[in-house]
Amino acid sequence: MPERSPDAAPPPTSEEPLRRPVPPGEAIVRTLAADEATRDVPPDAISLRLAAVEAGPETTPERRGLGVAAWLAVVWLLLLGAVALTVPVLPVPDPTVDAEPALARQGPSLSHPFGVDGAGRDVFASVLWGTRVSLFIAVASIVAGFVAGGVIGIVAGYFKGRIGGVLGSAMDVFLAFPQLILALSIVTFLGRTVFNVTLGLAIVATPVLARIARASTLSWSEREFVLAARAQGARHLRIMVREILPNVLPAMFSIALLGVAVVIVAEGGLAIIGAGVKPDIITWGNVIVRGQGELRDASHIVLAPSLVIFLTVLSLNYLGDVVRARFDVRESAL
Amino acid sequence: MRTLLGKLVRLVIVLWIVTFFSFALTKLVGGSDDLVTKLIPFGSEAQKEQLREDLGLKDPFLTQYRRWLGNFVTGDFGNYYLPNPRPVSEVVADSLPVSLELMLFAQTLALAVAIPVGVFTAYRAGTRLDRSANAMAFGLLALPNFVVALLLAIYVGARWQLLPTQSNQVPFPLNPLENWRYMLMPTVSLALGQIAIYMRLLRSDMIATLQEDFITTAKAKGIPTRRVLFRHALRPSSLTLLTVAGLNVGALIGGAVVVERIFALPGMGSRLTEAILGQQYVAVQSYVALIAIFYIVINFTVDMLYTVLDPRIRHARAIA
Repeated sequence: MPERSPDAAPPPTSEEPLRRPVPPGEAIVRTLAADEATRDVPPDAISLRLAAVEAGPETTPERRGLGVAAWLAVVWLLLLGAVALTVPVLPVPDPTVDAEPALARQGPSLSHPFGVDGAGRDVFASVLWGTRVSLFIAVASIVAGFVAGGVIGIVAGYFKGRIGGVLGSAMDVFLAFPQLILALSIVTFLGRTVFNVTLGLAIVATPVLARIARASTLSWSEREFVLAARAQGARHLRIMVREILPNVLPAMFSIALLGVAVVIVAEGGLAIIGAGVKPDIITWGNVIVRGQGELRDASHIVLAPSLVIFLTVLSLNYLGDVVRARFDVRESAL
Repeated sequence: MRTLLGKLVRLVIVLWIVTFFSFALTKLVGGSDDLVTKLIPFGSEAQKEQLREDLGLKDPFLTQYRRWLGNFVTGDFGNYYLPNPRPVSEVVADSLPVSLELMLFAQTLALAVAIPVGVFTAYRAGTRLDRSANAMAFGLLALPNFVVALLLAIYVGARWQLLPTQSNQVPFPLNPLENWRYMLMPTVSLALGQIAIYMRLLRSDMIATLQEDFITTAKAKGIPTRRVLFRHALRPSSLTLLTVAGLNVGALIGGAVVVERIFALPGMGSRLTEAILGQQYVAVQSYVALIAIFYIVINFTVDMLYTVLDPRIRHARAIA
């Protein structure tokens, strides 16, 4: 039982804790690190980020309401979601059609808040339109990875024997590829469409989420309530869906938030390498690619989408952190 | 000993699967006609026939794989095709050292900054300084390396003209100083994100170590703080950090590909990108296989080193 390690916080009855209580995140960092150390599986970008984020801001467990920063993050993400859904009806020019070549490379102004790119297209409009595709890729690939990884991970964790071993090894092989290289090779050889980029990133995300689901399932399936369900004659499927799944979801969800952030960055990276969506489809990454040749004269083309990516990743990281802190509190209250 | 053997067997199996996957990649393009048409779209019918022959596309799949693997392990990574035919292995020989240098520099810089900062923030945990360092690290984590690279390229490179952005790279042994001028911005772009990760890991481990009794003893003996921190506390706190630093190579590879592209650094990443854009599928296939193999071997080595470094793990494994 991981809860009763000697490092655990002192019982709440003592007035003066002998040791500084370990903040909720740090226990996970160590478990995670220990897990990495004893397994052959390389950690992936997401779990590394998780470890780093975990060690971070010590949210006091007593605080119940969301902080100001968390609300800002939520508002920002909702705003992006709204933009992604409504951009065709918003009063912005369509950057695939409207261009004013006379204004090419003009800096930010009132009528063009993020300036104009080399072909005379409004950068603000490009970023708004890019939100649609970039968010679609990020959310769709993580949702696909979440479902596939969840199923694989729970099955692998629940049936610890041969099935678990085979599934685990299969995941290990996928994790043995550097993530970006795996995604870029899938996209390069299948073709640079939105669907293939989403597919490639989903394939990369699946083993990561499966690993989290498996680790979580392994610990939950030892609990008494699972034993009780089994004693009552519940079938495997029912135990996995009704007893284990609800407990595995929070951990997976917090990783999925980080995953969306990682995928947004990956889309940008793929676009720069030339293995992202074709340049005529507007994504945040492709807006950056457009501005890459004009860093000196028109740096705003690159800076605008970069800033949006930064704020989005920051929000997702922060919220992932908040979700995790809350989930830990709930778990320790059991 | 048995675990070592088991690990070696596993390593070989994973390598085998990864090469198989890399080989199968070109089959994703479509049938053999599609591949040939993509490799030399403007070639004459005779040239296409010749290429089909050279690549052995008429043989059964497994025969093709066996031949490809045989060539691959003997250092024949296939060829670039029109318009500029040459063997991939030549290009690898030129570009691999650049990429290795970049990753080595980035890793060194990241550790050189993260260790002192991590130790100090752990020592001063909870103070305003610690909190601001943490907030900064949190921000750095959200900053993709290509954004850092572009910012550096815009300001340090294009606006202030302090460092060159388009690289005419000089090999390190010829002129180290000139070489560093080209490497500095790519290195910093790669290292910043790692600094945040390493610093936070070390800080959290260090905070735990500083509560141990032997630290109190060391302090009670009157040993200077600096010595307590760096001589007594750092070593037991740094195991996680070292493992993660070793295993983090995968993230570095991906980052290096993007950063090399931005600074036109003539490493494997730039060559891979060019091959993708030029539809040189055979070359892409070999690069992907090489990078994956490199990554797997590094992971294996780190895993072995970790066992050597930490006797507790050696024992735990011997028992298990």
